[in-house]
This record gives sequence, structure tokens and C-alpha cells, in this order.
Amino acid sequence: MSTAPIIERCREIFEDLDFKVVRAWKDAEPGRKVMGYMPFYVPREIIHAAGMLPVGVLGGGDQLEVIHGDAYYQSYICRIPRSTIELGLTGRLDVLDGMLFPSICDVIRNLSGMWKLMFKDKYAHYFDVPQNFDDGVGGAFYIEELKILCRDFEEISGREVSDEALRRSIAVYNKNRRLVNQLYDLRIREPWKASTTDVYLILRAAMVLPVEEHSDLVREYLAAAQDEEKPMRDNCRIVLCGTFCEQPPLGLLRSIEMAGCYVVDDDFMLVTRWLLDDVPLEGDPLENLSDAYLHHSGETAAKYVPDVKTKGLHLVEAVKRSGAEGVIFASPSFCDPALLDRPMLQNVLDAHGIPYTSFKYAENSGQMQPIREQAGTFADSIKLWSAA
Amino acid sequence: MTITAGIDVGTGAVKCVLFDVTGEDASWLGKRVDRVRRRDPMKLAEEGYAAVLEEAGLKPDDVAYVATTGDGENVAFRTGHFYSMTTHARGGVHLKPGIRAVLDVGSLHGRGINIDPRGKVLSYKMTSQCASGSGQFLENIARYLGVAVDEIGTMSQSADDPEAVSSICAVLAETDVINMVSRGISTPNILKGIHMSMASRLVKLLKAIKVAEGPVLLTGGLALDTGLVAAIQEDMTDQKMDLAVEASPDSIFAGAIGAALWGAFRHQKLAQIGQLAQAS
Repeated sequence: MSTAPIIERCREIFEDLDFKVVRAWKDAEPGRKVMGYMPFYVPREIIHAAGMLPVGVLGGGDQLEVIHGDAYYQSYICRIPRSTIELGLTGRLDVLDGMLFPSICDVIRNLSGMWKLMFKDKYAHYFDVPQNFDDGVGGAFYIEELKILCRDFEEISGREVSDEALRRSIAVYNKNRRLVNQLYDLRIREPWKASTTDVYLILRAAMVLPVEEHSDLVREYLAAAQDEEKPMRDNCRIVLCGTFCEQPPLGLLRSIEMAGCYVVDDDFMLVTRWLLDDVPLEGDPLENLSDAYLHHSGETAAKYVPDVKTKGLHLVEAVKRSGAEGVIFASPSFCDPALLDRPMLQNVLDAHGIPYTSFKYAENSGQMQPIREQAGTFADSIKLWSAA
Repeated sequence: MTITAGIDVGTGAVKCVLFDVTGEDASWLGKRVDRVRRRDPMKLAEEGYAAVLEEAGLKPDDVAYVATTGDGENVAFRTGHFYSMTTHARGGVHLKPGIRAVLDVGSLHGRGINIDPRGKVLSYKMTSQCASGSGQFLENIARYLGVAVDEIGTMSQSADDPEAVSSICAVLAETDVINMVSRGISTPNILKGIHMSMASRLVKLLKAIKVAEGPVLLTGGLALDTGLVAAIQEDMTDQKMDLAVEASPDSIFAGAIGAALWGAFRHQKLAQIGQLAQAS
């Protein structure tokens, strides 16, 4: 089997701003409920355990004309809340029975309040996550947050979120995470076989497909990609950093690849691999989810790092693990978390002698020539002038 | 011995070269340039590559590395791609060892590139999106005036009273030219005025990147335009820039040459670490 039809399907899902896949899932059985969520992380296991479909809402991309959304924000605010409001006001998110707004930045937190005012008949919840990683403090707080979700979701779905249901859902997501990690491993090993455009589209499909279906899709892609003969190019290997909330346009990813870079690690759609290990199936499932968040989760700008000496080391580790030769910081314009984090991360890269380049984008950026030039000259500088 | 190909897919022409690189020595095995003229550049790249292979009596398997530059990222049989600044710098050093800057004037853009003796890009600046400093603009004007592209340089150098043309905007410059024609200004004086306008923009690029040492090598499709070379030299003198500007008969191939030479360098580097890339 070829990867082409799989990617074509993912592309159709990605380009569909009306969430037809979600509508079809909901219409297939009366009473089905759908819970939307924004970046960077929500425990999808709980949504799944309540029998609902978790749906990632990642803004409108470059195909949505924002007309109403701009009226709600000052010019110095990023684009994802504008286009999300646009999606909501134009009825495209009517299929959702609720929305979760994770703790990522002030803009998204405030969007949760705006959502409550704008869509009074829909559930909207600001999902707070701990910034204290002590089990007795942050853990206790987080478990209470998870209990609120369980209670709310039971009410919406009319279905009990039992420990057994949670364990089953945890197992399903453990499996999906392992497959996504295998996809990332393949790209590290043979990036010419699994392009970043492909990986991105596959992860976008994870935002709307039922997790079981997505796992099948990833498995099929892995089998097909491994068998496909594609030439290895003389590209440099880079880690892409800063794309964890507002999404880069597909053209940007393609431009980076065309410019001579193999992206061997990235931080888009972190929800698919935020938890680094399997969540244990034994014991209390909420405690297990809490433990996974506190002690076995990734790092991103939205997560506090208590020990300043370790700040940014995850990026150095990602570079080493993936055999990357440099880092491209691509951050959305006006993204406080990404842009405030960037200087700290750059300092750490400087200290470790890892080259990097930086630029900004918006989800609707259309002019890619400057990015191609910048990424291309960065790739050239690594290939021709690096010490290795 | 490493045989490498360089393919420079430009807006106006596709240039292909084939080199035999042994240590520091690089010798030509073939070269070809095809004007695009509304044809598919990717097809021209394929044909050009086949032609240089035939010229050298070689097969694709004999080539260690196919390097593209310009808009060649989509050439399917490439091994790797290098950016125009990088390749023009390296190609420039190959054509004229000792140069310290390259002025690449192609169909769509002009680029000033400050380089070190190895051909490493130290800084660069490009013309903006307006085409008034580019070859396409000059070609358009020549067509309006009924002058063959090859005649532009000689005619421009025979000007006795050149007319100034807008150096800011191609549209304004074209309007200027129409007015000049209706006022009876001679073709050489119009062409010289255009060369002066282009030279002014291009020298500004060199000033912006603070090129202090020469010589400067003109590369790209317009390097063979002797009228432009003369106008750039004159503008530099007017600007009190003590730099010599030169062109090589092979300046149009600078990007392709640079790509081929960097390809050889990468091939050797990858061989050393056991990670040879393969062109399809």
C-alpha cells in the first residue's frame, strides 16, 4: 500500500473547516456528544471515557477569512483566538457540545470567558493545570481539576466515567501515543520516508478522528512508509520549535523541507505525545493521569520549570536524541509563551554550541519566499560551515 | 575524482554544468544554458542535465552529486539544494579567485553578496520586489525599443547624452522610456540611462552590505552586458567606492558552478562520515 491515499485522506480532513468527520461521527448514533479543546494539552482519556469524541480546535488556518473575529481583539494579539471565534460565530463549531480551554496563555484563558458569554448554551471550561509539581500540592490540585472534568462530562454525556472506563480509555490512548512515537522514530531514522508535511497531516487527523481509527491510520501509514522507496536527500536535520499553539501554515512546513531541512522533531500538537510514558492501568486512574502530568510529561513554554538550571535542556535533549544539527524557532506572531521562551532557549543552545535561526509566522501567512531563503541559508550554513 | 553536476534554475534561464573535482582542482566537463521562454523549467533542467552528460560522455550513475540552486528545489533527481547566495559566492570565487564580493543580477532580482576568500557569505542584500533593477526589466525595455538583447551593451556604451530613468519603480521607468521615445531621445541614450538607473540600485546594495574590498564579480544573466558593467563601474567611481567590477565570460554559470562545487564538498564530507545521500 502507498502512503499517498492515507495522506490524501488526512489532507481532506485538514482542509475541512466544517468538521464533517466529526458531524458524521455524531450523526452515526443518537445522543453522541463532542468535546472541543484547544492546545496544548487536555486529558483526552476522560473525554473518551465519557463516551464523547475529543476534537482539537486549532484555529482556522490559512483558508478562513476572519471577519467577525478581528473585532474582538487588539492588533497585537495572535490570530488563533480570532479565527476560533470566527469558526464559532459562523456555526462551524455548532457540532461541539462543549469546549475546553487549557492553561496556555492569558489570551486563551480569556477566550474561555468570552466563549461562555458568546455561546451561553454550550459548556465552556478553563482547564487549569498545575505549575507546582509536588504531588501533595500540584497533584492534589490537578486531581480535583480532573474530578471536575469527570463530573461535568458525566452530566453532558449522561454516562458514568467509571474507573474501569477510564482505564480502558487510558489503554487506548497509550496505544495511540506509542504509534505516534513510532511515527516520530521513523522520521528520525529515515526522514525522507516520513516527511514533516505527512507527519503534520497525520497528527491533524488525530484532532478529529476517534482515537481507535487514528491508531489504525498511523499503523497503516507506518507500514506503507517503511516499504516505500524514496531518495535520501543531502538535507540538514533540524528541530522545529515554537509551533505548539497557533498552527504553521502547511506551506511553511513545505517551505522548510524544500529549503533543504529534514525536520526530525517538532512541538506541534503536543497533546498527541505530551505524556512521555504509558500511563499505568493499575491503581487509581486519576492519580495515574496526575502522576503522568507531574512527572512524565513533556516541556513547553506553557509549563513552568522550577529549576532554572534545567530550563531549555529538553530542547538540547531533543536535538541529541533526533541527531539534529540545528534548531529553527518558528513562532506565531504575538505568541507570548513562545516568544518569551525563545531567548532563554537560545541562550541554552548557545551554551551547547547548537546553531539556530528564528522567524515568526501567522496561521494565514502566505508569503513563504523569505522563510525559504532564511531556512535555506541556515541549512547551507550547517551543511557547509559547521564543524561536524 | 568526484563528478558533480550543478543546475541553476533561474527565472529567465536554466544553467547546467558538470565538473570533475579532485582535491582543490575543479575542471569543466560540460555546460549548457537554456532560456526559459515560457517552457517548464523542470523539463529544461532534465534536458540540460542530459545534455551536459552527453557532452562529457557520462551516464547519470557516474555523477556523485547533483546539486541544484535557484528555484531548483523541485528538481526530482537532485541530491541536495543550495541557496543562491551560497552558490554564487562559491561560483564567483572559482571564476575569479581573490574577489571579495559578488553582484548577482538575474532576471528577477539583484543581490549584493559580501564574501570571504573561501566563498563564505558574510552578508547580503537583495533588491526589493520591484523589478527595476533586474534583467527582466531590461529585456522588456529592449523589446519595446526593438533592440536585440545582445546589442544592448554595445549600444549603451555608444551613448553621448544619457537620459536619467527612475531607479525606484519599473512601472515609472517604463513610462519614462515611453516619454523619451516620443521626445526623440536616441536608443543608445535611453539604454545608457536605464543602465545607470540599474547600476545605481545595484551599487546601493554593495554599499548597504559595506563592501570595502574588491574586486567585485558580476554574476548572473546580466554579467555579459558590457554596458551594465561599465555603468556599475562609473557609479562606483561617482560614489567614491574604490572597487573594480569584473565579469567573466562564464558569469552566467556562477550559481551552477557554485552548486556543483559545493556538491563535491558535501559528497566528500558525507563519504567521510558514511552518510552518502542518493539522488533518485
